[in-house]
Amino acid sequence: MAALGSYLLLFTFMVAAYAAAASVAGARRRNSRLIESGIGAFYLVAALMTVASGVIIYAFVAGDYTIRYVQRYSDSVQPLFYKITSYWGGLDGSVMFWVFLLSLFGSVAVRVNRERHRELMPYVVAVISAVEMFFLFLMIIHNNPFETYLTQTPTDGRGLNPLLQNFYMAIHPPTMYLGFVGLTIPFAFGLAALITGHLDDSWLRAVRRWTMFSWFFLSFGLTLGMIWAYEELGWGGFWGWDPVENAGLLPWFTATAFLHSVMVQERRGMLRVWNVTLVIITFLLTIFGTFMTRSGVVQSVHAFGDDPALARLFLSFMAVVALFSFGWVIYRLPLLQARHELDSWVSREAAFLANNWILLFSAFFVLFATMFPTITEMINGERLTVGPPFFNRWMTPIGLMLLALTGIGPLLAWRKSTIENLLQQFLFPVALALAVSGGLVAMGVRVWSSGICFALCGLVFGTIAQEFYRGANVRRGMTGTDLFTAMVGLVGRNKRRYGGYVVHLGIVLMFLGFAGEGFSRDEQLLLKPGEEATVGRYVLRMDAIRVTDDGQKQMVTAHISVKDTDGADLGRMYPAKWYYRKHEEEPTTEVGIRRSFAEDLYIVMPAFELADQTASVEVHVNPLVNWLWVGFGIMALGTGIALLPERALSFAAARMPADAVTASLLAGALLLAPAVAEAQHVDGPASQLQIFSKEVKDVTRKLACWCGGCSKLPVGDCACGHCALVKKEVTQMMDEGRDEKAVLAHYVTPPTEHSQDDVHRGESGHVLLSEPPDVGSGRLAWLLPYALGLLGLAGAGMAAVRWTRRPAVAVAGGPSTVVAPELQSRLDDELRDLD
Amino acid sequence: MASSPQVPEPTTDQSLPAWQFFLLCGMLSATAVVVVATGQHIANVIILSLTVIAASFVGLAAYRTIGPLVTHVVATAPVVAGGRTRAALEREKTLVLRSIKELEFDYAMGKISPADFDEMGGRLRQRAVGLMQQLDHTAGYRDRIAEDVAAAVAAARPAVAVKACPSCATPFDEDARFCKQCGTSLKG
Repeated sequence: MAALGSYLLLFTFMVAAYAAAASVAGARRRNSRLIESGIGAFYLVAALMTVASGVIIYAFVAGDYTIRYVQRYSDSVQPLFYKITSYWGGLDGSVMFWVFLLSLFGSVAVRVNRERHRELMPYVVAVISAVEMFFLFLMIIHNNPFETYLTQTPTDGRGLNPLLQNFYMAIHPPTMYLGFVGLTIPFAFGLAALITGHLDDSWLRAVRRWTMFSWFFLSFGLTLGMIWAYEELGWGGFWGWDPVENAGLLPWFTATAFLHSVMVQERRGMLRVWNVTLVIITFLLTIFGTFMTRSGVVQSVHAFGDDPALARLFLSFMAVVALFSFGWVIYRLPLLQARHELDSWVSREAAFLANNWILLFSAFFVLFATMFPTITEMINGERLTVGPPFFNRWMTPIGLMLLALTGIGPLLAWRKSTIENLLQQFLFPVALALAVSGGLVAMGVRVWSSGICFALCGLVFGTIAQEFYRGANVRRGMTGTDLFTAMVGLVGRNKRRYGGYVVHLGIVLMFLGFAGEGFSRDEQLLLKPGEEATVGRYVLRMDAIRVTDDGQKQMVTAHISVKDTDGADLGRMYPAKWYYRKHEEEPTTEVGIRRSFAEDLYIVMPAFELADQTASVEVHVNPLVNWLWVGFGIMALGTGIALLPERALSFAAARMPADAVTASLLAGALLLAPAVAEAQHVDGPASQLQIFSKEVKDVTRKLACWCGGCSKLPVGDCACGHCALVKKEVTQMMDEGRDEKAVLAHYVTPPTEHSQDDVHRGESGHVLLSEPPDVGSGRLAWLLPYALGLLGLAGAGMAAVRWTRRPAVAVAGGPSTVVAPELQSRLDDELRDLD
Repeated sequence: MASSPQVPEPTTDQSLPAWQFFLLCGMLSATAVVVVATGQHIANVIILSLTVIAASFVGLAAYRTIGPLVTHVVATAPVVAGGRTRAALEREKTLVLRSIKELEFDYAMGKISPADFDEMGGRLRQRAVGLMQQLDHTAGYRDRIAEDVAAAVAAARPAVAVKACPSCATPFDEDARFCKQCGTSLKG
């Protein structure tokens, strides 16, 4: 089996090389036989990778523990589902899975576009094959998943990491990879267009759907990651700015920017260089994301270990790709020149420019902040921590700006908006936003970021509703049907636009979820059987702690009954700790969640004492969290509408809503299905029973968890055993009368005084602070984003200024000539036919 | 399976298409695997047979790779070099027409003032008309289609029955000297 697999990979590498060479040679010599053969070889890669995947899945299912990879990531007691998903449980398999998906995806893309973009095809095949070759090469020389033990074959495997034995974690990587891999296709088409010089908009048309599709999967993957973090990591939040999460977010930003700026090129023929550049950057970021996840360059919960050789390989590949593709961009600059004209700063084009600036800034900010610790370590050896508070501080205003643009952009007209129509357009949305904020103030909401977010949600919602209503009204006037039919017709006629609006609606709902975080509450309780405690409007009563075993793991479960403050019974919740066989030293924390659209009750049991049946329980009340998942469902619906084939709605107007709604309901049901979720969080050994004061929590929030497994969460929020120790120590210090500064200084000062201290684990310095300090190289972290943002703003502004100057000349010689009436009527005919 | 390419049939006869042949082989081998693997866990057997079927696609793709090198594939007409500029013009025209439509819609939705609408709409129409004229000048599709149709009709019905015998109206060939029906001399 193992030998067969290795040979398959080798052979696939050769076939991919042939595909690339034959295509390029065929294209250069205009030899259609070679081109056809190259395409055939391209399909052959897909077929071979399918067989190789079959082989490795068989090895997992049949338990062939002579193969190292199989031995390391599975064992015989694992359920079948996880045995199959172990395929992408580790580095080697992930790379293989990546190539497998890329080959399948690429084959479909080539097959679909074979006729329409004949001139681009050979180069598309060559580019994708080259990417496949890199990853195959990586597997063959460095990470062969089929590598075997030479002697002493173990009889059983070590088992998949318990954290990954979770439904969402099992399907999260494939969706993420689909997104990543899918973004290779636009890159391949873009590069093919550059190489062939066919730089009109035809490659964009070929690529649009693929980008949307990949974008959808990327969003899906990110959402799954959020659900996983929420239900598994047990700290009550859903996004921890972990480097691996960020890795998925980076290409998401640039892909979103591309999806928007494509419209400008289509409509106005502007931004050609920019669009090609965006596609290249997006591809580089997907590779970089894979690299970041896999090379361990940034320490993180799930980076798969340190490996300098791998890092070198990835970096050189990226350097080659960047040089090659940007080289082509520069070479083709003369062909990419376009007539740019910006009629007004208050126009859709300008809004898109702003949108691109913000998205690009977000991408580079996240990239920079993620890499910052590595950079400072490289420069002066000091390792700093860039924790969630730092990201939140920056990304909150950025996110709000983006949300505002979502509301403003669609209201602006292409080219030019005047004061009058601005008034007319903005009246309703702004009124709605003001009404929302007024309501919030009346209700006594004083969290500024969440308040603004709600108001902006009102604005965007107003915009979308108005767009649909007015559009339908106009259409009703034109076609004379009722409002609903007009609405369907409207969506059918411009699926991308209105699908996009639906996606915006989903974004609004997601932002509601984000804003809800501002109102979350958490409390720590120490409960014995029979004891009651009140948190918010819930009354919790500890019934018992039970110990059970299912063969794979031992489970310690707290049974807690929940009641309303009015006495109504709300059912039982079961937070637990699971001890997996062979992973006993890292128990997982199972979260009990009671979901509702208003708020979630979220209970974790970080520690327990079986002897006297005491449990320390963390209770979080998270308002509006579920709107995140609902929002994603709506986004899926919107993407579905935008992806519908050209004529889908022209005949069967009623079919779309039914289908799409079912799909999104299904997605929603899938996301909301586990009412009481099983969540996991790997813990350090010593969890302690203690309750900490609010002051201690506030101080410890300024420290980043350094146990090595918690993705640098603030200590105050982290539920792991190590953080319990830190909090205990901080409590002691504060009882002694030390203030916040002194406490933080205690952790930051070098370890000589307390080197034997168990809490410090030999760590000290600024790395323990959850945000870079405002001294030394830490200052860079605060300075550079400003510099980056301003630079981007200046760039976009300069381009805009240059473009506004130009049309003055063009208009002068403009529409003075009289058009022949017969041409006019022909034009009218053609316009009518276009509908 | 997404990887299954449909091979363009190089010959015109009605024999088994390649993909059916390979799929059939794959299924037969899978059946053989199921027989051989009796006693194994059901999941193993399923995965094995799926792998074997996938292997049949390897055969198909290999055929698809080697096929074009050894057989005579009738190459489909390459892109007309001069056609691109035309296509680009057409494309730009659609773009401008779309913009006009969009503008009218935006105007109807009250996003643009009448003055702006007239100015921008006028400019766009101007450009559209310009493009239409340009397209007409480069010997429009109409003429070319007409020529093509005429040529195709001529090719489909070779020039028979152009001339007929003056006395009995029987059609005769170009090189005939006497009518084959009535024997009238056709010369002169």
